[in-house]
Amino acid sequence: MTATDLHVEASLDELADIRAHIRSAAETFGVDPAAVGGLVQAVDEWVTNVIVHGYQGAAGQVHIHVQRDGNDIVVRIRDSAPVFDPATAPAFDPDLPLERRPLGGLGIALIRELCTVFDHRALPDGGNEVTLRRPAAAAGRKGVAT
Amino acid sequence: MKTTIDRVSDSVAVLAMDGELDASNYQALIDTGQSLYGEGVRTLVLDLSDLKYMSSSGLVAVHSLALVYRGEAPPDPEAGWQAFHAVQADADSGVRHESLRLAAPSDDIGTMLDRTGINRFLPVFADRDSALAG
Repeated sequence: MTATDLHVEASLDELADIRAHIRSAAETFGVDPAAVGGLVQAVDEWVTNVIVHGYQGAAGQVHIHVQRDGNDIVVRIRDSAPVFDPATAPAFDPDLPLERRPLGGLGIALIRELCTVFDHRALPDGGNEVTLRRPAAAAGRKGVAT
Repeated sequence: MKTTIDRVSDSVAVLAMDGELDASNYQALIDTGQSLYGEGVRTLVLDLSDLKYMSSSGLVAVHSLALVYRGEAPPDPEAGWQAFHAVQADADSGVRHESLRLAAPSDDIGTMLDRTGINRFLPVFADRDSALAG
């Protein structure tokens, strides 16, 4: 197996199953157990943002693609929610007025810490695709969380 | 996530979590902690020994309860940035919330508490007994 795909409804009730899927895929692709936690957290944080801030209670789908790419594990997450580029979310800024807080939140900052790559593109027909990349080995990973 | 409440005394309780704390259930944790405060509990230990996972929503819940047990209103639970800014402000000012105590986090959760500064303003103990002893 070179990749796995999961399609789920955009519901917070799906988060536990999504995390279980990522753990299973990580095991299949030989990810160091010490590196799995950070991968699971990054995916969980992004999908939560999609559901809460993207779909905002509306019906929708989330598609999660997981694959091994050399020494890395790569997760691509697609949705059809309004376009939101997480790069527009500012870094931690204690002086930022609340009314200027971006779509998304604390989770995005954690993803930045956990992933070596956190890319976004707007899909041609609407929606978002983010790519999350982490080393499959615990050593040398970015951030301290495992 | 399953929660178990142990009322040690009229004013002290342990709330043990078993499972995963995420955006689907963090509000229930806040509600449970607030209810205990309403019943007179003034020292709450969150026993994390059986908690397998905590997302940033869990951090918001922890900080919200820290404020509740300091006698303040919790922040808007949707305001992740607001909560985190408050966490940073508390950490930077040296404020510690002794009425809410964390016990026995896993390595992963402990690392997250460290990275986000939660352990700079909330006491974190190795186990439930030491948390109760303070």
